[in-house]
Amino acid sequence: MAAPVFLLAPPRSYTSLMNAMLGQHPEAFGLPELCLFNVETLGQLWIRDSDEMGGDAKTRHGLLRAVAEIYAGEQTMQSVRMAEHWCAARQNHSAASIYQELVAKIDPLVAVEKSPAYTIDVKRMRAIYRAFPDARFLHLTRHPVGQCKSVMSLYEGTWALFVNSIEFLADRAIVEPQYAWHDFNINILNFLDSVPLEQQMRVRGEDMMSDTQEYLGRICRWLRLRDDADAIEQMMHPERSPFACFGPLDALFGNDPNFLSGPTFRPHKVKVPPLDKPVSWREDGAGLKPEVVALAREFGY
Amino acid sequence: MSDSGDARKEGSRPKIGPVDGDPVTTHPDLEKLSSYQRGLREALLREFKARKVKKFVEKQVKYINANRQVAEEIKILFDENGQPPANAPMEDIIAERRQLEYQIKWFEAMVLELQTRLLRVREIEALALDVLDHSPEA
Repeated sequence: MAAPVFLLAPPRSYTSLMNAMLGQHPEAFGLPELCLFNVETLGQLWIRDSDEMGGDAKTRHGLLRAVAEIYAGEQTMQSVRMAEHWCAARQNHSAASIYQELVAKIDPLVAVEKSPAYTIDVKRMRAIYRAFPDARFLHLTRHPVGQCKSVMSLYEGTWALFVNSIEFLADRAIVEPQYAWHDFNINILNFLDSVPLEQQMRVRGEDMMSDTQEYLGRICRWLRLRDDADAIEQMMHPERSPFACFGPLDALFGNDPNFLSGPTFRPHKVKVPPLDKPVSWREDGAGLKPEVVALAREFGY
Repeated sequence: MSDSGDARKEGSRPKIGPVDGDPVTTHPDLEKLSSYQRGLREALLREFKARKVKKFVEKQVKYINANRQVAEEIKILFDENGQPPANAPMEDIIAERRQLEYQIKWFEAMVLELQTRLLRVREIEALALDVLDHSPEA
């Protein structure tokens, strides 16, 4: 069974684009966000265990779309219904065994997946590693200012609030996404400490955007996949992925909605902002925390 | 691009976020927060939810008014006798046609969604009746 590839990064770090690009390689299969390692058994994906933040149905969309596509060869309301039955029949199976079943089904293609929620907790990443000891992990980084601005622009920073990325001021609490940027990258680094070096690679998303073909080639060689011109050309078209669009009404998402609305890739040079200036999402003129700056420098920013 | 890893003790890098534990939807560890901070956090969540509800309601009101909007918009295509006006600009007619096509697509999607829900309810109903039929008291 081909060892899967997992992209590890906080959300809004080019993961959707990279996942779809790698998934378009002729020897790979790009999955939507399965979120399977968020839980221990499949049925738990259907259980809501807190009312603090509201609905979580979207976390199931990726899995339903993937099952529909893999087993029915299409994503329609009928095939999503089939996928729901497929899941219901396996509700007590472990998340790892479900994942292994899907990977075996698409073998010999290499499964490529990213669910940014995996980086919330080291335990989730360790569960991946236990299920797939030969998995490869690609740590994708993004400049903290770019990533935080992007997080705050999506549904008013819901994700940062969801993960308690909060700062307490004297008279109020505010959403401060840089805590999440720092701590999730730290989670990734702490996890990767236990993974052999040959099974991990770190790439700056900004480099990928400007020198895409060069970096795709490097990643292919690391993954021991073809790196010829045809393979690279196919990877330059993430919009051709069956998951690079909204799904049927029963399972619309499974990925970042911005990516689903416009998945076409255009290489571009990303302007890297300074690390020592006030940040735009703060009204009090504060900047990045020293720990955030130090980690960003470690990533080469 | 570089290989990860350094000389520090494996897996021991410290985090800086003020709240430990899983995300809010599971089990955040609020023990380290003072009661004042917990209150501030609660207020932030409440404010966020209120904004979310407000936006949802605004959106729903827009959909509810869709019928009236359609009626208002197609009025320009007819005069008081129910006939198209002689001097209607072509651009207006094309714009109206596009708008109507968009709204029809929206209604079709709504119908599809309702049909799906109906199917589900029928399935549950059939299953429940089946259970009743086979119960000892039946």
